[in-house]
Amino acid sequence: MKFFSLVSIEFKKIRRSKILLILMVAAIILWLPSIFNADLNFGMQAEGISPENNFLIQGFMGMAWFMFPASMVVSTVLLNMTERSNKGILKMLSLPIATAELCLAKFVVLLALAAFQILMTALMYFVSAGIASQMQDYNFILQPLFVFKEAGLIFVSAIPMLAFFWLLSVCIKTPIFSIGIGLASIVPSVLIINTKAWFTYPMSYPFFVITSEYGKLATNLDTAQVEFIPWTPVAIVITILCLSVSCLRFGQAERR
Amino acid sequence: MNIIETKNLTKSYADFTAVSGVNLHIPKGTVYGFLGPNGAGKSTTMKMFLGLTKPTSGAFVIDGKKYLENRVEILKEVGSFIEAPAFYGNLSGEENLDIIRKILGLPKSAVPEALELVGLTQYKNRLAKKYSLGMKQRLGLASALIGKPPILILDEPTNGLDPVGIHEIRTLIRSLPQKFDCTVLVSSHLLSEIELMADNIGILNHGHLLFEGTLDQLKFNATAQGYPTDNLEDTFLALIDADNRQRGGAR
Amino acid sequence: MSFSLECKKVKRTGFTPAFLFGGLLAAVVPVLNMAVRSENYLGIHAAPVQILLDANWQMMAMLNILLIVAGACLMYHTEYADNAIQKMCTLPIKESKLFFGKVTLMLLMCIVVLVIEAASIAFCSCHWFEMTSEVWIEVMKNFGYALLLMLPSALGSLFIASVCKNMWVSLGIGVVCVFTATMLPTRSFVLSLFPFALPFQIFAGTAENTACNFMIAAVVEIIIIGIAEVLFLKVRRSFE
Repeated sequence: MKFFSLVSIEFKKIRRSKILLILMVAAIILWLPSIFNADLNFGMQAEGISPENNFLIQGFMGMAWFMFPASMVVSTVLLNMTERSNKGILKMLSLPIATAELCLAKFVVLLALAAFQILMTALMYFVSAGIASQMQDYNFILQPLFVFKEAGLIFVSAIPMLAFFWLLSVCIKTPIFSIGIGLASIVPSVLIINTKAWFTYPMSYPFFVITSEYGKLATNLDTAQVEFIPWTPVAIVITILCLSVSCLRFGQAERR
Repeated sequence: MNIIETKNLTKSYADFTAVSGVNLHIPKGTVYGFLGPNGAGKSTTMKMFLGLTKPTSGAFVIDGKKYLENRVEILKEVGSFIEAPAFYGNLSGEENLDIIRKILGLPKSAVPEALELVGLTQYKNRLAKKYSLGMKQRLGLASALIGKPPILILDEPTNGLDPVGIHEIRTLIRSLPQKFDCTVLVSSHLLSEIELMADNIGILNHGHLLFEGTLDQLKFNATAQGYPTDNLEDTFLALIDADNRQRGGAR
Repeated sequence: MSFSLECKKVKRTGFTPAFLFGGLLAAVVPVLNMAVRSENYLGIHAAPVQILLDANWQMMAMLNILLIVAGACLMYHTEYADNAIQKMCTLPIKESKLFFGKVTLMLLMCIVVLVIEAASIAFCSCHWFEMTSEVWIEVMKNFGYALLLMLPSALGSLFIASVCKNMWVSLGIGVVCVFTATMLPTRSFVLSLFPFALPFQIFAGTAENTACNFMIAAVVEIIIIGIAEVLFLKVRRSFE
């Protein structure tokens, strides 16, 4: 069976799971405070960032720091529970497919859910920026190209983090531990982005990237900038390591 | 005296009617066999008795008590077994029963008794999620039998058991009215099985009660209507088939 | 009685170790913070407990509340996973008793977690601020307040978990609620009454009548969520 059709099967499995609804609600709630506090964007002279840039970046920072990683932990729970709750995994393992491919197909679904949420956030940005523009009589809407570039940056930098969450959910069978470790690992990323070793901690990547974008846009701020060396190699190694371990471990517990 | 009686009991969902105008009469101290093909409405009826679903219309009385006002009172007297897997997977068989025992306020000895009754004593420390289908079924039965309730509602209790197990459980059910002075409502889709256990039977098809009475009455009726009677399974099939045809050739 | 049953039901699910570990993790935060950069805090003129809580409570409360959400999801997951809830419904007990049993267990776990964290704050006050007298009274006051303000979110997440049969839905809603709480501006009193935002409040340094208002609000929320659960169970029963 082709990998592509395997992925489409995985998408079918999460039908009626309401996960898209949850991801969307989170993306909507994200922008509500920004709309109500739109006037605060005009008081950023100290940082030296324009109101419209601040509006976008503050929202994206809120997303990258907690909402997006936490939603992804929820998504991994979904991907696992659909298999385990009615022993669907046993059926899948008894079919002629490579387990590693199955595992990767599920990871692709996780990536797609991540992309969906980021896309929703970006789209909701335009809606909320439109509303804020009306309210404040000031044009908050930025160039779509720029917005999607920032959103794309978050997505790409989130891949190692997603691989790590996927590893957690595959390897730790006790749900509360995989959820607990996943959620708890998000919390310290605020501290870790201020340290020199941030690139060793995948959970802080999206937040770090968006914070450094903030630093670029705010002329008076001096935030740490992304240094591709040693970050990129480390991130790639982490991703490959997490994915290969999870592919190896996938379905092992059921096969004992 | 009838311990369970229903009056025009009906349950409709948005697009179909699972149980329609059923009048059951289950005498005290007997085994009542509830018969019907898959999806006939047996489980739905039993679920209504247990308050797991609400009747759309009609009513029923269990031991003189009406549902809704007396839900907890009814449940105190009923031991039930509905749809095999209903347990805590992270607990052992014994622990599962212990939870039920505490809720029912029974003495500690009730757990080993129930385990012994269904022959699960040697597996009592194994986790319920690691049980085989047959063992899960036995655990479900034990959770119904614990504390010897005066009324037992068992939904296809022999599903998934091996022939020896089926025989064991059948004999057990057959002996319950004498042993514990209780009434048993047991469902199955096999007439041959019900035949061996039940005093009275009710046949359900597409939510309608086709027949209610003793086995002899069933045979008598069947002969009168010209259905085969030498093999009861054939009688049952003919009855269902005739009913299906009457309903506009469904199937 | 239902409390002891709930204790039994969470056996082997990792519930208790998760709370102990979570409590320890949160307790490490202030110790680590002081060990790494105590010079930032030692100069501040305020009560040591207040300095410590101001510096660390946001993160500790976040961990606590995530723990509560995950724990609540798990407790109801054991009910729904193998359909045990159906068996419970056929037993002569009220379904609401199940809920309040779980609330009691959650309350106990919250106390355990807060005691661990209180010990760590007390340790930091004694070790770095050389405060010995009355440290326990201060700490007790603060964490008693924290416990009360934590309860609405505990009941709330149990309520969500009891409504949703699928674990990811209840976890998802819980996460969205926590996220909403972090986005709410702390200046507004009304908005910080959101059950999931209450645990972020600190007693030390809060005006007495504000603290009093928060406590009253917490009690009211607890009662409202309790009533909502009972009503919900009634409604669900009549629709099944």
